[in-house]
Amino acid sequence: MTTQTETFPYMHRAEKSKFLSWVLTTDHKRIGILYLSTAFIFFLVGGIEALLIRLQLAQPGAQVLGPDAYNQVFTMHGMTMIFLAAMPIAIGFANYLIPLMIGARDMVFPRLNALSYWLFFFGGLFMYSSFLLGGAPDKGWFAYAPMTERAFSPGMRMDFWGLGVIVLAISSTVGSINIIVTILQLRARGMSITKMPMFAWNMLVTSFIGIFAFPSLIVAAALLILDRQLGTQFFNTAGSGNALLWQHIFWFFGHPEVYILVLPAMGIMSEVVPVFSRKPLFGFTAVAFSTAAIGVLSFTVWAHHMFSTGMSTISLLFFAADSFLIGVPTGVKIFSWLATIWGGKLRITTSMLFAMGFIVMFVIGGITGIHVASVPVDWQVTDSYYVVGHFHYVLFGGTILGFLAGAFYWFPKMTGRLLSERLGKLSFWTIMIGMNMVFLPMHYLGLAGMPRRVYTYPADTGWAFWNLFETVGAFVTATGFLLILINIIVTLRKPATHEQDPWDGFTLEWTTSSPPPPENFAQIPSVRSRRPLWDAKHPDMADTH
Amino acid sequence: MNQASTQPRGTGLDTAKVATIVILGSETFFFGTLVSAYLFMRGMYPWPLEGAPLSRLAVPTANSFILLISVITMALALRAVRANQRAGLVAWSTVTLLLGLVFVGGQIFEYTSNGMLPNDSGFGGVFLTLMGFHALHLLAGVVFLGVIVMRARLGDFSAKRHSIVEVGAWFWYYVAAVWAALYTVLYLV
Repeated sequence: MTTQTETFPYMHRAEKSKFLSWVLTTDHKRIGILYLSTAFIFFLVGGIEALLIRLQLAQPGAQVLGPDAYNQVFTMHGMTMIFLAAMPIAIGFANYLIPLMIGARDMVFPRLNALSYWLFFFGGLFMYSSFLLGGAPDKGWFAYAPMTERAFSPGMRMDFWGLGVIVLAISSTVGSINIIVTILQLRARGMSITKMPMFAWNMLVTSFIGIFAFPSLIVAAALLILDRQLGTQFFNTAGSGNALLWQHIFWFFGHPEVYILVLPAMGIMSEVVPVFSRKPLFGFTAVAFSTAAIGVLSFTVWAHHMFSTGMSTISLLFFAADSFLIGVPTGVKIFSWLATIWGGKLRITTSMLFAMGFIVMFVIGGITGIHVASVPVDWQVTDSYYVVGHFHYVLFGGTILGFLAGAFYWFPKMTGRLLSERLGKLSFWTIMIGMNMVFLPMHYLGLAGMPRRVYTYPADTGWAFWNLFETVGAFVTATGFLLILINIIVTLRKPATHEQDPWDGFTLEWTTSSPPPPENFAQIPSVRSRRPLWDAKHPDMADTH
Repeated sequence: MNQASTQPRGTGLDTAKVATIVILGSETFFFGTLVSAYLFMRGMYPWPLEGAPLSRLAVPTANSFILLISVITMALALRAVRANQRAGLVAWSTVTLLLGLVFVGGQIFEYTSNGMLPNDSGFGGVFLTLMGFHALHLLAGVVFLGVIVMRARLGDFSAKRHSIVEVGAWFWYYVAAVWAALYTVLYLV
């Protein structure tokens, strides 16, 4: 084995103070932790906003928030969860794990990495500063024209939306470029693209989706600001523009964005499920190709968000069929995890519980996704709570549960301490019961006609009971996250055990100490199969590929 | 020593070039969205829009030639550095940079002398947005060339070590290609 010496200039720059050492850090592990902790705080804020929404809707005619505050809160709930929680949590995991998983000392552009974090940090603060400066954006995260034009939205709210989105989109683009080039250029010797861990595969595809989707969001926000500030006419149907143009540009970004949100969690699933089943991932190549297929298809389905805007029959047919099609590679992944679990030597840890919860909950969101991809069904349920129920099963039941599986799995690597399994399992069951109490009745309310994005409803609609039930469920879910917060705080106050490989893992991050040293590996490892650590532990049963 | 350790890491390609390809791919979706938005608007309304200066091809066409020449001078700069000629690199990069500034000046002249306004419910806003974003990219290229000129004078580049010049040239060619696309959709079709 040859010893490798690599130049590593950014490591020990700021050791004067602990605070500065974090502010000035370019270490991917520290930036990863900054991403994860900042995004977790934003997640809690977005969660509090969700509770406020549920309090307002708990009873017909309630005046907890009132219409103006409600619009700001539901808009910021969406913006926060998508741009300030889910995406940065994914980038945080990627930052921390990808160099460790592929056997590198850092991301390929460490300073660019710091830039993308600080753009996210200040972009988030900028977005939230709007609450103090005339009110937060209040037109929904999709910001449909012409409601966002100056005539209908005077003041600065939508300018905050536009500028904030541009900053956050640039941050994510920069982060995605860094992840792509890191994965392409810094893999350990012998780690061909087909032997790369599935989480890295998912982040590679996610990042490619990102660099192609975020430009459209930047264009949308830039044109909106030009319309509002300079009087251009892009989204003004009375001038030379068209309000539908907004929906096309926005959803050309917006639908790929759904996969940007869910693919990282699917990548976590494909790491957690095999380890706790003590089997290699079933159908690795098929899963990798299905990930790439999702990436390509995600750019061809955007207009299924626009079925009710009066499209031609041929467009309706195309976008419906295409949306059904994207269910196929998604199904491949589900069956791969099921086949991995099948006949495995299961260890039901908290992480594995969340992973299994993902499978069940995500399938519900997937099935209702097929429902709303069907044009006549969509015409009935569009803009109703049915759609809200659908995408929360995908984004909460999928993305968030996947992140929680990853959090319990990699927390020992990041901190050298194992989270309490007892508290963890309690939080799992609390969240599972809570989330189903919130999101399952939404389907019924939607079918019963309850529209989304309204701040209240009359008593004679018959919607009151399930709305109250959902609000109770929201507080049950919040209790589950409170348990997780307590778990993290209690665990961090205990002395570290520094277990290197507590889960009997397969991949390279478990071959180094917990937490890893700044340079990650004393020696850059070489790889011969998809499970290098398994091979090292079981040379008699080493993988052949 | 095992077999794996003799293989290259990653793709084995130059990291700056890989990153540049990724960035330019992203840029293509940026300009692609802008052009698509413009074509969408054209499909909705009778064209030319009020105030569309279709007859005024002089400045844009002259600018096309300026940009074409700048692509050639950029290629000459690249040839110079590959042949290890520092003076040639500095000279041709400077010429390219100046041509870029002339181009941006021409764009500003075209916008102001035509009396276009962003809110004239027609061509002004489209011109300002599409050409404005293109000009910003070109100015980024000018800054890039400025850095190349400064570092070339310090002797930072050699025939073997000049990937920054290579990707700078790629970026310049790319911005010129975007211009060709914008010129075509705005003035020719």
